[in-house]
Amino acid sequence: MKATIAQYYAGDSLLHRRDPRAKFVAVSGLAVALFVRDSFAGLAVYAAAATLAYALSGVPLVWFWRAFRPLLWLVALTFFAQAVFAPGEPFFSFGFVHLSWRGLELAAFLSLRLVVLVLVGSVLTLTTPSIALTDGLAWLGRPLRRLRVPTDELALMVTIALRFIPTLLVELDTIMRAQRARGADFRRGGLRERTRSLVPVLVPLFVLSFRRADELALAMEARCYRPGAVRTRLHPLRARWSDAVLLVATAAVIAAGLLV
Amino acid sequence: MPLFDISGLHYRYAGAQADALADLDLEVNEGEFVAVVGANGSGKSTLARLLGGLEKPTAARRALACGHDLLVEDGRMAARRDVGVLFQNPENQLVAQCVEDDVAFGLENLAWPAADIGHRVDEMLARFGLEELRRREPHMLSGGQKQRTALAGVIAVPRRVLVLDEPTAMLDPAARDEVLIAVREMRGEGLAIVYVTQEMDETVGADRVVALERGTEAYAGAASGLFADTALVRRLGLGLPAAGELALALAEQGRDLPGLPLTMDELLDALGGAT
Amino acid sequence: MSSLEVLAGAASDKSRAPGSAGMRLVCGGASFSYEEARAPIPALCDVTFELRPGGSLALMGASGSGKSTLLQVIRGLDAPESGAVLLDGAGPADVGYADLQREVGLVFQAPELQLFASTARDDVAFGPRRLGWPEAQVTSVVDAALDVVGLPSARFAERHPYALSGGEQRRLALAGVLAMRPRLLLLDEPFVSLDPGTRRQLVGILERLKAAGVTLLLATHDVDLAWALCDELLVLGEGRVVVAGPWDFSTAGGHLLAANRLREPFLVELWRRLGRDPQRAPRSAAEAAEALS
Repeated sequence: MKATIAQYYAGDSLLHRRDPRAKFVAVSGLAVALFVRDSFAGLAVYAAAATLAYALSGVPLVWFWRAFRPLLWLVALTFFAQAVFAPGEPFFSFGFVHLSWRGLELAAFLSLRLVVLVLVGSVLTLTTPSIALTDGLAWLGRPLRRLRVPTDELALMVTIALRFIPTLLVELDTIMRAQRARGADFRRGGLRERTRSLVPVLVPLFVLSFRRADELALAMEARCYRPGAVRTRLHPLRARWSDAVLLVATAAVIAAGLLV
Repeated sequence: MPLFDISGLHYRYAGAQADALADLDLEVNEGEFVAVVGANGSGKSTLARLLGGLEKPTAARRALACGHDLLVEDGRMAARRDVGVLFQNPENQLVAQCVEDDVAFGLENLAWPAADIGHRVDEMLARFGLEELRRREPHMLSGGQKQRTALAGVIAVPRRVLVLDEPTAMLDPAARDEVLIAVREMRGEGLAIVYVTQEMDETVGADRVVALERGTEAYAGAASGLFADTALVRRLGLGLPAAGELALALAEQGRDLPGLPLTMDELLDALGGAT
Repeated sequence: MSSLEVLAGAASDKSRAPGSAGMRLVCGGASFSYEEARAPIPALCDVTFELRPGGSLALMGASGSGKSTLLQVIRGLDAPESGAVLLDGAGPADVGYADLQREVGLVFQAPELQLFASTARDDVAFGPRRLGWPEAQVTSVVDAALDVVGLPSARFAERHPYALSGGEQRRLALAGVLAMRPRLLLLDEPFVSLDPGTRRQLVGILERLKAAGVTLLLATHDVDLAWALCDELLVLGEGRVVVAGPWDFSTAGGHLLAANRLREPFLVELWRRLGRDPQRAPRSAAEAAEALS
């Protein structure tokens, strides 16, 4: 069975060993900077930094392609929309299509920006196992506890949800196969008929999930879980000097991109 | 002090017409292996949950688990620490995204320091033959591997007594053997065990057997006593190994065998060798 | 007409030719692999065997040996990469193959993944309705199917499937498949986590279906249940056929079973140790008790 969301590529690179909190802050900072800065020069700086980061991660390029491919349509759409509809002196016209140099420039910029954004995000998800990322986010979100937001419990919920996604996918597949074996045809019919044929598939999945939730809660309580109680971790987050270096380096890159 | 000291235990589900457990007594001491048998609906799973401090008894004269009072919330919380419970469905006990993290879960909940957790987890993985599966995700595990992982996770927290609720019911024979071997080993190390099952052959070696029928005790005593009462065994609707089934079938034909054989050898002995 | 006759077809049943109850199955060199990210995983390799109409075959093998995959390929949920599944002699290229596939029933292992309607009746009616049968016929087969599995409509038709016990759900899932009047019935580990009473009941139901002429293919890891219900044996090992044909308890046959981690059925071993011919051992405890009395 395929894909987990937040696809992780196991490795031991410089970036793999960094604290997830530092990585998250660095990536967020870069993402914001990407959208603030409007010039090709700035974009080039960020693109170079992102490419360097990806190279440092040791993850084969094909994994970025896998993360990026589903978004190819968005990039293509952005490019096309900007190229065709942006204002500017057209050098070529055909019907409603007006191509201008300015439009093409804008289209290139926006598309490239998207690619760099996905690249930056991929570096984060490919080098950080989801549980570490969830732990990191829970820590970063701690101030929210003052507003009564149960960040630790939410983090655990996310972890559990991620744990069960592959299982649910297998069960979903089996449910559909069982119904196909009784004559159901999920490919037939228009949108409405196909949506309707999904209801008998979702019902057992929901029922199964509710029962699972009950049993899982019992098993967790049997292992002394109490919501709200202090929990330690087998692999606690440990910030090191190298994480500080990462943050400083990222800040430098952001600054460079803004000033160029 | 007994590990379980239960007297007059009642449990009724909300909105139910009758007790799921009625007036039950149970005493389990250090090092004992007690089998609790019963058909579906006999209340044995309910009992398992109550023993683990996971449900509140409706009423009881006395309900102590490792000295903790199960009638009180704090007592139940404390009982969860000393009483380990393993359930039937391996899938719905695994919480974490890899074996190692799941085994650590209980200790994390008890706020053990990370280094200690690490040592204990290593110990458990070695003991249950899971070292190579350390980073494996749950959906990539076989049924037997999942149940061993769940067991490792339950035992990772040092327990005084272990309650197993039909742990092999959903497993194929190979997986079943894996789990039974692990249970036998723990038994050999002196851990007290309450083993809930529908299958008579899993009671072999028990110090005592308690048989439940619709929430009440139908038998409590030595395993041999239950095996000798074929009429009772049939009434209880328990699963018998093939030898036992044949003995019951022979009894129906009018040929009563002395006692209930569970193995081929016992059956051959009872039949008096070759016919 | 009895419920069984409604489902399996009787001489007086015009919609089904007499004596055509069971389907003939021929599997010729079927191979199948699963698509995976890095490399395809071979699940079945050159599987060849035959099952005569009305025959009964036990499909055995360790977890992961390909039993479930084979059943799903036979039903047509997956197409074999090479080789073919012939139903009553017809192959995928022949006209009417799809109709024959609809006469193959497959009951999956977990009942909770097969039930979804709000009443037992609606759930069992799903298959017949998908086949386009007129409502009167649907009602007739639904009632018959519920009757055959021991969940008579008077008591169970309006019950919610999820309110039923595990054993009842297992039987309801079977009813849903039987209502489509299969001539070849495939069962994937139907006895797992069943309590002893329901296990016995299910054996009885399958025996009656067998007697009515339905061809039976039962995937199980319980060698005693396989012995009780099936005349022939097919053992898979890592996707390949390692044993195929009638039960063979000669020395050579015994070695083959042992090599595949299968013990002899209990009653067979008993007969052997009592000095009787193991090949003629009884199939059930009741039969054995009679023979010994």
